[in-house]
Amino acid sequence: MTFTDTKDRTRNALGGFLGNWRQNIIYIGFAAIFVIFALTLNDRGFLNPNNLLNIVRQTTMIAVMAVAMTFVLSAGEIDLSVGAVAGLASVTVAMAIAVAGPFAGIMAGLATGVAVGVFNGWLTTKIGIPSFLTTLAMMGIAKGVAMWISGTSAVPILSPGYSWWFGGGSIGHVPVLLFWMLIFGVVGQVVLRRTSFGRRVLATGGGEQAASYSGINTSRVKFRVLVISSTAAAVAGMLYAGRLQSGRFQLGEGDELSVIAAAVLGGTSLFGGKGTVIGTIVGALMIGLINNGLILMGLEFSQQLIARGGIIILAVALSQKRV
Amino acid sequence: MAPVAVRMKGISKHFGGVKALDNVDLEVLAGEVHALLGGNGAGKSTILKVLNGVHVPSAGTIEVAGVPLTTHSPAASRAAGIAMNYQEMSLIPTLTVAQNVFLTREAKSGGLIDDTEAERRAAELFAMLEVEIDPRAIVGDLGAGQKQLTEIVKAISQDARVLVLDEPSTALAVSDVDRLFTFLRKLKTQGVAIIYVSHRMDEIARIADRATILRDGQNVTTADIADLPVDVMIEHIVGKRSLGLADVARNVAVQGDVALELRNVSGRNKPKDISLKVHKGEVVGLAGLLGSGRTSLAKLIAGIEPITAGEIRINDRPVHIRRPSDAIAAGVALVPEARATQGIIPSQSVADNATLAVLDKLSKFGFVDAAKMRATTDAQIERLSIKTASRDHAVSTLSGGNQQKVVIGKWLASDPDVFVLDEPTAGIDIGSKSEIIQMVRDLAASGKAILMISSELSELLTACDRIIVMAEGRSHADIPHANLEDPADVNTNAAHRVQVAEQRLQIAIQNALKSEQEISNDLH
Repeated sequence: MTFTDTKDRTRNALGGFLGNWRQNIIYIGFAAIFVIFALTLNDRGFLNPNNLLNIVRQTTMIAVMAVAMTFVLSAGEIDLSVGAVAGLASVTVAMAIAVAGPFAGIMAGLATGVAVGVFNGWLTTKIGIPSFLTTLAMMGIAKGVAMWISGTSAVPILSPGYSWWFGGGSIGHVPVLLFWMLIFGVVGQVVLRRTSFGRRVLATGGGEQAASYSGINTSRVKFRVLVISSTAAAVAGMLYAGRLQSGRFQLGEGDELSVIAAAVLGGTSLFGGKGTVIGTIVGALMIGLINNGLILMGLEFSQQLIARGGIIILAVALSQKRV
Repeated sequence: MAPVAVRMKGISKHFGGVKALDNVDLEVLAGEVHALLGGNGAGKSTILKVLNGVHVPSAGTIEVAGVPLTTHSPAASRAAGIAMNYQEMSLIPTLTVAQNVFLTREAKSGGLIDDTEAERRAAELFAMLEVEIDPRAIVGDLGAGQKQLTEIVKAISQDARVLVLDEPSTALAVSDVDRLFTFLRKLKTQGVAIIYVSHRMDEIARIADRATILRDGQNVTTADIADLPVDVMIEHIVGKRSLGLADVARNVAVQGDVALELRNVSGRNKPKDISLKVHKGEVVGLAGLLGSGRTSLAKLIAGIEPITAGEIRINDRPVHIRRPSDAIAAGVALVPEARATQGIIPSQSVADNATLAVLDKLSKFGFVDAAKMRATTDAQIERLSIKTASRDHAVSTLSGGNQQKVVIGKWLASDPDVFVLDEPTAGIDIGSKSEIIQMVRDLAASGKAILMISSELSELLTACDRIIVMAEGRSHADIPHANLEDPADVNTNAAHRVQVAEQRLQIAIQNALKSEQEISNDLH
């Protein structure tokens, strides 16, 4: 009897995974693309460990922002300002390091993110402007401020310590950036799945009225996810700055689309209530993987854009539940 | 006398210039079921939201177990021991049953949420209530009845001293209602005060100890249930002498040809092998419990769910219905179950809603003819006596009954031959209910064929010429109205006759269930 039960359970687990293949498409798709690239691009060095670590280096900033975006989308909101905030933070951190050293730089970068997030959250929850518009406007404001205070030129960072910790360094062959991605992924996953705050985020996005009737302060939840998102964007900007040893307003430009794509590819709903941080990380890695493979294939930039768009549409279309 | 659990004194509440509550008192004792009655717009929901902290009262005081409530917020009310289940559902569709039940009070181990523990505790609660719901199921996948039970379990799991139930039985099967009542009686003995809102008078008579009746935002009376026979209750609620449903004139229409015929029709899951005929001028009812396949059958006919076998014939011609537009073209109109989401577009005007189904007819070269639109809308407003400030007011500003009339008017404008009505009076007060039922009779008299679903048997009996009893997706009995009445009954009291018929119909439904159970027993 017990024997049959165990067998049944194994079969059910496997059946459950395949039965929910649409939900798990990101993992299946990631594996499929990886295998295809490995087979077709092996002679161009795709499987070379250095190339794979490069994918991590190029993906970490997107992943960091996408983890926070998972919270924003799960709460039924959106943050379009993350790319611009990353650029702004890269400039403020570089300027502060030049004046008062690395520690002040880190504080300045974080403060930039928190300040933008508080402003976004205040406009969205207190004034009642939809986050789509608030953060769309903030995208321009943040970029404008970054251009203005830097005089549109790059601000160099002359602190090797800062650069090592924030994106430039590596332990042996393993880049520090990999640890940043892992930390954000693990903390994000635990907070979303296993804390009251995460549950409140999912509840707010899943049914705002029901959540507020259940005693959840949905405004506060939205405020917090927007602050988290901007702060994570600032961290991403600091990583860009450390890796390139300078702050520039162009850093992170256009990242908001990759960030949202990573989260949605991973299985987070654009309409709230459903989110998975692990899926988001894999989604971000998949975008990096695609970019890398298309470059190795020798496609022109224009062709890369078209191919990347097509692959993302295919993945999201396959994950749609057909009614 | 038992101690007072809730004392609300002199509560007033204004919304802009509108007075929703005017100096209302409500006193509920510990260990009693206190019915709160009133028509739509009487102020029931408002006073409950004041009690629950969603609304801040403009004037008045609230005491819970003798302690005045100084702050008005959902958190403060919950802390005072008030738990509420809402008509609009306080469940998050994307979370599991267990996660919903313990939302904001999650079980934790080592500071992190422990869903396994929550599932275990939810399973215990369900076992105590004898409810069969999988705590791991996603709420969005549950049926309406299971959602409602989850909702109630969530409310009672909060160790509430005061439990507010707003229309808890709307979506429940008879057996579920019995189970709920058994449970409420258990809670009573533990000293919990229960405020019970329902439009179903028979339920009130069965479960409540006392009742407070509101009308137009004011107190009408508070009395023991024993001193409030149903006709007195209705009189207080409606404000004028009314026999309720018994008022509806059952003028027998001349029946014409068969307008709608189903031959061995099955759906993906339910219904199974249904054959039926509805004549012009006839109202056929579908009786059965939740999950009997009535709504699926309606959706099949309206092209919302696919037919897997059988044939649908309209006016003696076979039709292929694959999507709603096919059904509309064939002359079928569905008045759906969920009025707010499937029937109307709440933020749009009465005129926009009423002409939605005939936009093409009213348009030339893609432009809507405003004059025709006004004329069509006014015709429906007049024909159905829809009470609205103007045709340009948003439908959401109308009462539930009048919203339903707009839905019916929308279809009338397209002049269909067959009406399928799914719970047309759900959540509508008793005064408007009889108006809607009268309208159904009038539609039939004008030659329409009508298939009507209702969980309120008295309503089916008042509206229908014939009632088909369904269970587990199959049709079990096809009973002409006359067969449900007792020919030997010389009692001329209409309400009494409906009561007798209701008992017989109830027995037919139970028999259908029993034979389904026997079938499934044979299979195993």
